[in-house]
Amino acid sequence: MNKKHWRIVVAGEGGQGVQLIGEILAESAFRAGKEAIYIPNFGVEQRGGVSIAMVQIAEQALGAPKFEKADILVPLSERAVERTLAYIKRDTFYIYEASAIAPPQLLDATVGIQAWETVAPEAFSLAVGSKPQAPSRPPADMGLMPDRTIGIPAAEIARAELKPRVFNIIILGAILAASGVLSLAMVQEGMLAKLGDKLRRDPELKQLNLRALDRGWAYVTEAVRRETNR
Amino acid sequence: MTNVIEAEQRSFMTGNEVVAWAALAAGAEFMYGYPITPQNEIMHYWTRLAPKFKRGFLQTEDELSAGFATLGGVMAGRKSFCATAGPGNVLMQEPISMAEMMRIPAVWFIQQRGGPSTATVIYSQQETRLTCLGGNGEGNRLVYSTASHQEVFDYAIKAFNNAWNYRFPTFVLGDGYQAKMREAVTLYDPAQRGIELHGTSRMLGRSSKQLDGQQVRHYRNTFNIEEELYETLMQHIADWDHMAEEVVEWAWEGDEEPDLLLVAHGVVSRAVYAAYEHLKSAGYNVAYFRPITLRPFPVAALQRAAGRCRQLLVAESAYGQLLSLVRDSLYGKTCAPIEGLLRPGLGITEELVVEWAQRLLARVG
Repeated sequence: MNKKHWRIVVAGEGGQGVQLIGEILAESAFRAGKEAIYIPNFGVEQRGGVSIAMVQIAEQALGAPKFEKADILVPLSERAVERTLAYIKRDTFYIYEASAIAPPQLLDATVGIQAWETVAPEAFSLAVGSKPQAPSRPPADMGLMPDRTIGIPAAEIARAELKPRVFNIIILGAILAASGVLSLAMVQEGMLAKLGDKLRRDPELKQLNLRALDRGWAYVTEAVRRETNR
Repeated sequence: MTNVIEAEQRSFMTGNEVVAWAALAAGAEFMYGYPITPQNEIMHYWTRLAPKFKRGFLQTEDELSAGFATLGGVMAGRKSFCATAGPGNVLMQEPISMAEMMRIPAVWFIQQRGGPSTATVIYSQQETRLTCLGGNGEGNRLVYSTASHQEVFDYAIKAFNNAWNYRFPTFVLGDGYQAKMREAVTLYDPAQRGIELHGTSRMLGRSSKQLDGQQVRHYRNTFNIEEELYETLMQHIADWDHMAEEVVEWAWEGDEEPDLLLVAHGVVSRAVYAAYEHLKSAGYNVAYFRPITLRPFPVAALQRAAGRCRQLLVAESAYGQLLSLVRDSLYGKTCAPIEGLLRPGLGITEELVVEWAQRLLARVG
C-alpha cells in the first residue's frame, strides 16, 4: 500500500474489457487524490487485436506515459501472455485468468487493422477464431515470486454466478486484492463515476458490477489467506 | 459570451478533451476541421460543447479547405481555430503559409502521428520541422510544444492571446500520446487567474461607419515586384524577431557545468526530466533543458545551458528534427559532442534515457 509509483499493464483480447479496467483504475486513483495516467493500446504487443491498457498511479507527479517494466501485469489471454513477457520483473504482481474458456480472438493474419481505426464489423467477424485456450499462466522460467502470481477463473465465475459481461470487473477486484494498489472503496467510487450514466439508468447492472468487484476481491483474498495458512 | 468555467475544476480527461475546453475558455468562437486520428475527439468534444456556449463548427471537404476556412473565420473577426495531424498537417501548410503572408492570427492544434504519409495513427514527434518551418516562407509562426494536459490548457489560452496580439499563425504542438491519454488537469476561467483575453477585430467586411476613419487595408498575398515582397517580408521578420524576444520560453534545471546536458521537447521531456531526477539523485552531475517554444527556438538560453557542459544528449521521437535545431543554435558556441537518442515514431521511456545517459557519463567518468 505504501509503494510510491505503480506501473500497471492489462492486456487481453478485444472485447474482454481490458481498456475499461485501465480507465476505472486511473479514474479511481484520480478521485482518491493520487496522480494517475491511463494510456490505451501502445507497443508491438498490440499487433493483431491484442488490447493493452497502461496505467500509472503515484503520489507524486508522473513522468513519461510509457514504461519498460510492470509492477502489476494482467494478461488475460494466451497471446497477451506472450506479448507482455518483456514487462515482467521479479517482483511483478502477475494476475492471470485461470479459466479454460477462450475469448474470441482477432487473428494475427488480419492485417492492416489498428486499434484506433474504424473497422467494418464484417472484417472483425471474419477474423475471429475460437480455439480453446489454456489459462493465461505466467511461463515457469520467468523467475517471478510465487506469492505474487495469482490466478482467478474469472470467466467461469462470471458465467456461473454473475453474467459473462462483468468478467473484467471480477478481474479488477482481483487486481486490488492481489496488489493493494487501491482500496476496494476507492475503486467502487471510481467505477460508479466512470460508468455513471449507464448504471443510473440500470440499477440492476449497478448491483451486478458491484457484486463482480466484490467477488474478484473475495476470491483472491481467500486464495491468499489459504496460501499463507498452509 | 457565456462563462465557460464557473469555478476552478480539477478533472481527469483525455488531451483532446482538454483542447476543446481550453479553446472554449480562451474565447474561441469557431472551429473548422476535417477528421484525422489522433485529433478526431477535439472535433467531437467541440461539437458537443460548442452549441451550449453559442460557438460554431464547420467540417469542410478536406484539410486544405478546413485551413483556408479557418483563415476566413479570422478575417471575419472571429477567434477561429483548426486541429489536424500527420498528412493533414502537410496539406494545411498552404493555408498556414497564407496566414504567415497575410498576418492572419489563426490557431492550430497539432496531434502528431507517425510519418511519413499515413504511417501510424498513434504517436511521433515527426511533425516538429513541418510545424515550425513547413511553408514556402521563413517560418514566421509561433509554436508551443506541450508536455502535459495542464500545459495544453495553459498554452492554448496563451496561443490565442499571442496570435491576436502579434498576428502570426500560432500552434499548440501535441502528439498522439497527449491526445489519447487521460490525466488530471485544472480547468479555470482565465479571468479568475488575471489573464485578459485579447480582443478581435474584423479584417474584412467593415462598413465605412465601422472603419471610423481608419484606412482600408489591403491584405496582400501576391506581389508584382521582388522589392515589394522583400520589403514586406523584412517588416514581418522584424515583427517576428520583436515577438520572439517577448514570447520565447524554455525550462532549464541542474548544474551549470554538467557532465551531461539532457535536451528534449514535448511529451519526451517528461521521460527526460524523470531520467534527470533519477541521475541527479544517483549523484551524477547532469542538467536538463527543454525548449517550450520551438518557434522561436530559445537559442540564447540553450547556449547558456550548454556553454560549459561536457556533452549533450538530445532525445526525440523523430530522427534528428530537434537535434538539428539544437545543432543550429549551438554552432560555434560549444565543442561538446552532441549525441542523439533518436526514435522516429516510437515512444521514449525514462529507463531508456537513463541507460543512454549512464553510457555517456561513463565516457567522461
